[in-house]
Amino acid sequence: MSPVDRPVAVLGAGNWGTTLAHLVAKNGHRVMLWTRHPDQRDEINGRHTNARSVPDLALHPGVSAVTDLGEAIGPAELVVVAIPSQSFRAVSRIAGDVLQPDHLVVHVTKGLEVRTHRRMTEILAEETCAAQVGVLAGPNIAAEIAMGKPAGTVITSAFPRVIEVTRRALSSEQLMVFAGADVVGVELAGALKNVVAIAAGMATELDIGENAKALLVTRGLREISRVGVAMGAHPMTFAGLAGIGDLMVTCASSRSRNNRVGRALARGELLADILAALGMVAEGVYAAVSARELAAARRIEAPLLERVHRVLYEGLPVVRALEDLMRLPAGRDVGARWPGRSG
Amino acid sequence: MTPVSLRVAMGAALEDVPAVVIDRVLERAVRRADDGTGPPIDLILGETLFHERGRLAHADRARAGADREFYSGVRHAVSSARAACASELLRAVVTHYADEIHGHFDRRVYAVATRALPVGLTALLSGLSPRELLARRRIPNLEEHVVIDGEVDALRTLARRGTIILVPTHSSNLDSLVMGNSIFRLGLPPFSYGAGLNLFTNPLTGFFMSHLGAYTVDRHKTDPLYRETLKEYATVLLERAQHNLFFPGGTRSRSGAIESHVKKGLLGTGITATLHNLRAGRDGARIFVVPATCSYPLVLEAESLVSDYLEEAGRSRYVLPEDEFNRVQRWVDFLGGLLTLDLRIELVIGRPLDPFGNDVDLAGVSRDPRGRAVDAARYLRVDGAPTDDPARDAEYTRRLGARVVAAYRRDNVALPTNILAFAFLEILRRRAPRLDLYRLLRSLGPDTSVPLDEVVTEVKKIVHGLATLASRHEIRLSRQARDAGAVIPRALATFGTYHRATAIRREGDRLHVGDANLVFFYRNRLEGYGLGEPLIPQRSDA
Repeated sequence: MSPVDRPVAVLGAGNWGTTLAHLVAKNGHRVMLWTRHPDQRDEINGRHTNARSVPDLALHPGVSAVTDLGEAIGPAELVVVAIPSQSFRAVSRIAGDVLQPDHLVVHVTKGLEVRTHRRMTEILAEETCAAQVGVLAGPNIAAEIAMGKPAGTVITSAFPRVIEVTRRALSSEQLMVFAGADVVGVELAGALKNVVAIAAGMATELDIGENAKALLVTRGLREISRVGVAMGAHPMTFAGLAGIGDLMVTCASSRSRNNRVGRALARGELLADILAALGMVAEGVYAAVSARELAAARRIEAPLLERVHRVLYEGLPVVRALEDLMRLPAGRDVGARWPGRSG
Repeated sequence: MTPVSLRVAMGAALEDVPAVVIDRVLERAVRRADDGTGPPIDLILGETLFHERGRLAHADRARAGADREFYSGVRHAVSSARAACASELLRAVVTHYADEIHGHFDRRVYAVATRALPVGLTALLSGLSPRELLARRRIPNLEEHVVIDGEVDALRTLARRGTIILVPTHSSNLDSLVMGNSIFRLGLPPFSYGAGLNLFTNPLTGFFMSHLGAYTVDRHKTDPLYRETLKEYATVLLERAQHNLFFPGGTRSRSGAIESHVKKGLLGTGITATLHNLRAGRDGARIFVVPATCSYPLVLEAESLVSDYLEEAGRSRYVLPEDEFNRVQRWVDFLGGLLTLDLRIELVIGRPLDPFGNDVDLAGVSRDPRGRAVDAARYLRVDGAPTDDPARDAEYTRRLGARVVAAYRRDNVALPTNILAFAFLEILRRRAPRLDLYRLLRSLGPDTSVPLDEVVTEVKKIVHGLATLASRHEIRLSRQARDAGAVIPRALATFGTYHRATAIRREGDRLHVGDANLVFFYRNRLEGYGLGEPLIPQRSDA
């Protein structure tokens, strides 16, 4: 089978997985989209729709849905994993039965495993033989892309072939696919920015002003970059598409799930009710747990990450949290210290 | 044991190795120069002359004479030559390198030398200072003082199923002798060593190294062409199913800490050889990487190594010309110490890996982290065909390096000298929390002392921490250190047998600093396990 003939596997038929499958199929590749739900599989194959995940999208006929992981992964070279962070390990472990060393595995999950704080590529390394891995991230609201609006994203891997094959599968007039090498940075930026997005949602709902929101988001970016750099990320990654790019869209867009969680919390709704109403996973709710613990373990001051965690899990009122954040002593902005002062 | 006749046959099969190496290196250089992916040949030659001139400027006159003459000829030819001559000159340089690397390798002598090894080290010692040794009642035999533990059966089994790359930690030049002797004792077939040039020039080990299947690694040579020739040499040996041993840390640990970082050059030869084997249809030829961790209660060269570590400028030097390794009296003192106290050097054979960093079972099958069988050759295939991809292979090697480093940490044996030094320096460091490492060490003199009771308490705490780590298989705790009460007397006696200024000495009910640098050196072996505040910067491959 020549490379062009080999299908692309997409694991997970949520809104981002389905949208990616559609984009790859539009580029002329066969796509095997794995879902665990037979009814979803039948709908995709029969009507070329996926009402649960992307209601208005007419799926490209090149997308075939399957419920057997082997059927999806076996013939593919490129395997795209679009599974929520808290189920990622379980699916990886089963996928490990069929994954082979020559598979190229790219995940699109912006989260960390709560209990272990593991990144998704670390989970892949612990559960499978796959070594040629990468991560795709950036300002990518699935619904907008499904509507055909243009966007940019970044594929990051230490393996040139992973980058090359992913770009070949995904690049189009609609989607610009940039390349990067800082896997750790892109994974951490993607996961941690969701916590900042929750704070931005709170600020929007309480209407504290655009200036104050920009202050909050920028200080939040500083916190997550410091945590990221302490864990081995390149600082400039946070200034790229997967960092500031993704942060801008998540903090501004009412479509962002994490942003919506923040707004609902500010309206006084209970977390359990919010998540039930959302019907989808808001990764920031989990990432907040990891973010706080990772910062504390590295003795990094992270007042925003800490306040979001307290709002989510300790009942801190949103108003109190934002008041606290607005009253922090103003120290250094960014860059080097200046003589005679401390930050 | 491999029959001697077979070894001689293997020796014959290796005679053309330099020629193969030279052809491959030249072919690659010419191809890259032609297709523009590498520098033109005259530029490669210019780079060689530049690097070698730099090296020869500091080299020993007597030894470098022939090299000077050779490069003077090359320089003259380059300046006067026509372009057509450049590739001939390049061949001359690569041949010069390959001959030096291969020069000491003689299979026939090897066969005899390995048989002589049970008494080899003793003979070595009796040869070095008869007067000193006659004065003793027994001749110290290093062999009796090396305890071998770990995955010994797996190593033996896999040595029959494929080709082994044995990658030990590097604390002392004694490692080469310990490893050579242990390979013999385990009944393993011959290994090739990538041994530092200084081991050949050392009057005590030169003879043995020359006859132990060693090939030469000159760490002074910075020319990329030399490194390429060396890597190719190791690769061809692996393709010829010749077991190989080298130190992936590159140089002896200056700080005394266990390696947290390994060099990727030679470590990657397992992948390249696998690729070549697949291309040649030798799909069944397997290569296994086996880490080995050697823990010494005393390190022969500790004083020189640590002072080199502490001198910022010294960090780039690879060979310490006047270190203890070259002084006969220091050897006698060191081995005398081992004998008197019946000290044990602990060698732990690690779990075998494939060249991609996966575990390997006794049948030689690679296993994923969940224990499922992995067809490792597929790491190198694209659409079924073995494919060149240096960036991919560098990443696999990084992965392998991380597994090797993890094995070193796990198989490190915490010994009484390490534990006492760690506990002692922890107390002193807590007393002066604001001092950085250099100021801290400078502030410690013979007057610095700690009440014995306080040290006992700290040692108990460290031993408890180590026992917990050991129960999780994160380190090994020496049998001699399991009783916390015995650690201090054992460590003091050990320090006292060898070092000129003992690291720590007891006066009444207080322990005094003897040599702060040595305390630092011996405690560093337990750095990075979360037993106390870190004192040395860590480079991690994880």
